[in-house]
Amino acid sequence: MEVYDISYLSLLACFLLLLIPLAISYYFKPEFIRETIISVSRMVVQLAFVGVFLTLLFELNNSFVNLLWLLVMVLMASHSTISDVKLNLKKLMLPTVISFLVGNFLVLFYFNMFVINLENLFDARFLIPIFGMFLGNSLRSNIVSIDSFYEIMKRNENRYHYSLSLGAKKHEAILPYAKKSFEITLKPSIASMSTIGIVALPGMMTGQIIAGSSPILAVKYQIAIMIGIYVSTMMTVVIGIFMTIHSSFDNYGILKKDIFR
Amino acid sequence: MNSELLKYNDVSISYGEKEVLSNFNLEIHKGDRILLKGRSGAGKSTLLKMPMGFAHPTSGILYFNGELLDSNTVWDARKRIAYVSQDLDIYEDSVNEFIEEVFSYSFNEGKLDRNKLRRLLVYLGFKKDILNMKFADLSGGEKQRIGIIMSVLIGKDIYLLDEITSSLDSALKEKVANYFLERKDWTLVIISHDDIWEKEDVKVLQVDV
Repeated sequence: MEVYDISYLSLLACFLLLLIPLAISYYFKPEFIRETIISVSRMVVQLAFVGVFLTLLFELNNSFVNLLWLLVMVLMASHSTISDVKLNLKKLMLPTVISFLVGNFLVLFYFNMFVINLENLFDARFLIPIFGMFLGNSLRSNIVSIDSFYEIMKRNENRYHYSLSLGAKKHEAILPYAKKSFEITLKPSIASMSTIGIVALPGMMTGQIIAGSSPILAVKYQIAIMIGIYVSTMMTVVIGIFMTIHSSFDNYGILKKDIFR
Repeated sequence: MNSELLKYNDVSISYGEKEVLSNFNLEIHKGDRILLKGRSGAGKSTLLKMPMGFAHPTSGILYFNGELLDSNTVWDARKRIAYVSQDLDIYEDSVNEFIEEVFSYSFNEGKLDRNKLRRLLVYLGFKKDILNMKFADLSGGEKQRIGIIMSVLIGKDIYLLDEITSSLDSALKEKVANYFLERKDWTLVIISHDDIWEKEDVKVLQVDV
C-alpha cells in the first residue's frame, strides 16, 4: 500500500483551517486568538524538535543512547508528576522516578521480547514510541493516584490516627485510602478499554492504518499495546504509592506535614 | 506499690511561641483513675495524644511500661492504650463495616465478641439497626458511644478518655461513667467537664501552667 506524504505546502494548507477557530474567537472571545496562536506555535516547535530529534536517534540507533533517552523521559515525567500535585518535589522525586522506571521498563522489555519478538530489544523505532505510550499513560495515572492518595490521607487524618490507636499497623491503617485512590485512578483506564474502537479509533491504530498496515495487524498491535499500557500503569501507580509512603510518613507512622507545599 | 504504666517526665507544651504547659509530671499506675481538669487550651488533650505518638512534647519525655516512649516503642503502646477522643467524625461507611475493618487488623483478629458487642449496644441505648446505619448519619452522641464501645471491645491496659461524654444526655453520661468506674482494675485517665466523673476514688488533677 502507498504511504501518502504530506508536503510542507500541504501542511501549510492545513494551517488555513485554523482561520475558522480564529474567526470564531474574534467574534466571541478575542483573548482566545492570542492563546490559540501561542498554543499552536508551541505545538509546532515541540513536534518539529521531536521530529528532528527522533530522526537523529533512529539513524544513530545506539542502544545506550536510546536507554539514556528513556531515562530522560522518565525524569521529565517524574518532574511533571510532582509539580502537578501539591507536594514537595525534593522528598518525592526519587520514589516517583523509581515507580516509572520499574513499572514501565519491566513491561516494555517483556513486550518487546515476547510480544513483538524484536531481535534487538533496544531498537529505537520500537523502544521509544512504545515506551512513550506506556509512560504517557502511566504519567497521567500516577498524577491522579499520588494526588488523590495524599488528598484523601490529609482529609482523613483523624480517622487514620484512630485506626492506629485501635491497633492497626501502618500499612493496615493506610490500606483503605490506598484502595480508594487506586479505584479513582484505574477506573478511567478500565472504562477506556471497554469503549475503545466504538467511540473512537485509537491513535496508534489509526496511524498504522494510514501508514499502510492491514486493519487486523493494527488491531493486534492495539490490543497488545492496551494491555501493556494497563499493566504498566497499574504497576507504576502501585509502586508509586508504596514508594512515596516510605518517605512521607515519620517513624511514628504520622503523615509528615512538610510533604505538602 | 503498683507497677507504673505511664509516666510523664517534665513535659512541656508550646503552641508556636506560647508555652501552655511547663514541666508536667505524672505517674499513672495500674488501677489509677485520674481526672485532668484545667481551662481549655491548657494542653490536656495534647497530653493524652502523646502516648499515642499523635503529639510530641516540646520538651520532656514519656515512659510507657518503664520504657522510653519513642518511634520504636509507640507501636506497642498503641496496642495497649485505648485512646477515645471526642472527635469521632471519621467514617463514611456503615457502623458494621467500620467494626469489620477494625477487627481485620492483625492485632485484633479473632477478638470480636459479638455477644459483648450486642450487650454493649443495648446497655448504651442502641437499637440493633444501628449496625447498618452509615457512620456519617449518626449524631455526635451516637458516634461517641460507638467509639466507647470499640475501645471496650478491643480491651486495653489503660484508657485515655478525652471528653467522651460531652455529647451525651445525662442518663447516658451516668451509664458511661459508671461502666468505666465500676471496673476497679481498669486504669483510666479522663478529661471531662462533666461532674459525673468526680467520684470518690477518682483523683482530680489540675493541669495549668
